[in-house]
Amino acid sequence: MYQYSQDDHQLLQERVSQFRDQVSRRLKGDLSEDEFKQQRLRNGLYLQLHAYMLRVAVPYGLLSSEQMRTLAHIARTYDRGYGHFSTRQNIQYNWPKLEDVPKILDDLAAVEMHAIQTSGNCIRNTTSDPLAGVARDEIADPRPYCELIRQWSTFHPEFNFLPRKFKIAVSGAIHDRAAVAVHDIGIRLIKKDAGELGLEIYVGGGLGRTPMIGKLIRDFLPPHDMLTYLEAILRVYNKLGRRDNLYKARIKILVHETGEEKFRELVEAEWQEVKESKLRLRDEDIKNIQAHFKDPDYENLSDFDSDFDKELISDPDFAKWADNNLELHKQDGYRVVYLSLKSKNQPTGDVTADQMDAIADLADKYSHGAIRSTHRQNLVLSDVRLKDLHSLWGELKTLDLATPNYNHLTDIISCPGMDYCALATARSIPIAQALTERFDTYDYVNDLGDISLNISGCINACGHHHVANIGILGVNKKGVEVYQITLGGSAREDASIGKIIGPAFTADKIVQAIADLLDVYLENREDPEETFLTAYRRLGPAPFKEKLYG
Amino acid sequence: MTLQVYTASLLKEGLVAYLCIDTEGSYWSTDLNKAATAETDQAETLKSLAEQAERENIVIAAYAVDVELTENGTRPLENRERIRAYGPTITLPQSSDTKQAIVRAA
Repeated sequence: MYQYSQDDHQLLQERVSQFRDQVSRRLKGDLSEDEFKQQRLRNGLYLQLHAYMLRVAVPYGLLSSEQMRTLAHIARTYDRGYGHFSTRQNIQYNWPKLEDVPKILDDLAAVEMHAIQTSGNCIRNTTSDPLAGVARDEIADPRPYCELIRQWSTFHPEFNFLPRKFKIAVSGAIHDRAAVAVHDIGIRLIKKDAGELGLEIYVGGGLGRTPMIGKLIRDFLPPHDMLTYLEAILRVYNKLGRRDNLYKARIKILVHETGEEKFRELVEAEWQEVKESKLRLRDEDIKNIQAHFKDPDYENLSDFDSDFDKELISDPDFAKWADNNLELHKQDGYRVVYLSLKSKNQPTGDVTADQMDAIADLADKYSHGAIRSTHRQNLVLSDVRLKDLHSLWGELKTLDLATPNYNHLTDIISCPGMDYCALATARSIPIAQALTERFDTYDYVNDLGDISLNISGCINACGHHHVANIGILGVNKKGVEVYQITLGGSAREDASIGKIIGPAFTADKIVQAIADLLDVYLENREDPEETFLTAYRRLGPAPFKEKLYG
Repeated sequence: MTLQVYTASLLKEGLVAYLCIDTEGSYWSTDLNKAATAETDQAETLKSLAEQAERENIVIAAYAVDVELTENGTRPLENRERIRAYGPTITLPQSSDTKQAIVRAA
């Protein structure tokens, strides 16, 4: 993991000191709320429905056990004993007091963390594949590129007041686990047949009220040119992005209105201006950053472990979990472990301070002290030996972190919705919980196979409902919360935007409507291997619509 | 006419609060049932007191909320405001030794 330089530490300390002074002046009345709002938003501090909310950056989803313990300490000391992992791999605290925030930022800085770039119209925290560096399908490790983007974008003076917020995701694998197609800029690391590494650059993806899939504007960019090319894209956006209309300010609208070809030309022209600037990465720049992401000292193990195999046979519950929540690892004898934050006992993505401390201990014991957060609001221990899996599972079960539902129906993405969010128009967590309760049957959920169900509590789509196989959007219709269903979305390499199936359902009808949709799938799938999404794409919306509306 | 109360967020704590009036003057409480109510056309006094509290940096983002009086107390008409008044409708995760007391009005 990246270790801060002296400059990084100093930068952070100065920032915390500045914010402490700003908070002090605000509390004394020397700053008005209008003046202060711009400052607090630049430090991740929102005012939400019930209280302030602090969003802490988890750069590309990487956490050390020490950092996780600090997050637990903050939850316990300054908040109400829990935090919420978001779809940007960050963590949010829902109840901090304003006067405590500088102390929280001090504690974060001590472990090389902060809340910068988690709000405001700047380049936000870059997200990535939670399996970066360990995935068996990886082409190249995306983490060094994420870190280079982080360093380039942090306090970039030119891009501190963009027309709107700006999100970048980087994936280095064949399978997209970072939803790159629905980011302002999505980057995929690829290799030519000769083995030469390059970047595919997608621009203008996004969700919200105008969901769009990003357009490929550069099909092979040498890695050394990454930052100069991003600089060119951002310059074009900063210059031409609309500032007159909040709803048309994202780069996706600019790309759409300008046209893909014209936009590409504008970027290429701008690029000529900066292509040979100091931002052009040298070999040593990339190598220096790559050195921070070396593999841990893996043992030389076989990918066959007789004890593990015996445990799979003797312990059916362990086998269910192993079947769903493990991923192959590039290193023989190891597995990637998904910790499900989707139990029926806790809101999606929420983790208590006690759980955080325990996860940190498990990371130290089983996975080289490293934890990752995922954009699907789960956590990952990336380097667990086969022979340790049964013990780890036992401990996760005690912590209620072993629900065997990764990439299954109840692995629901849900925004906080109107239970917390000032922008939401409907609740989403209670719907997620009602669905989890209704479908709390392993055999049924497992038979459904690979499927995604995401819920947003308003059109801003923080719950990524547009790119779920089954999406649910909560809206307020004449004072009543109703839920609209979209079908056919995907956030993966076959990205697509789901389509509305028909009129919305009230809260008491939505769970049955989902059950009905699942029945249509089960009755019509060609075989158990055909996923919900594949079946939907083959069948079209008609049978689903017929079942729901007659 | 609709009955209204004034709500805002406490500057220091960020918590939801309601404008209250007693014999000593105005103050802010997290308890909606203590809130001063007024018909829409008579809410000017409440509005000016709320704005004054904003200027004095006691609260931020003050606005009027439509309510009704029920046998159980003051009840916001809109769902959003009910959630804001009574807290999240879900069971919050619990940790063993949280320092910050949960001090929401029932």
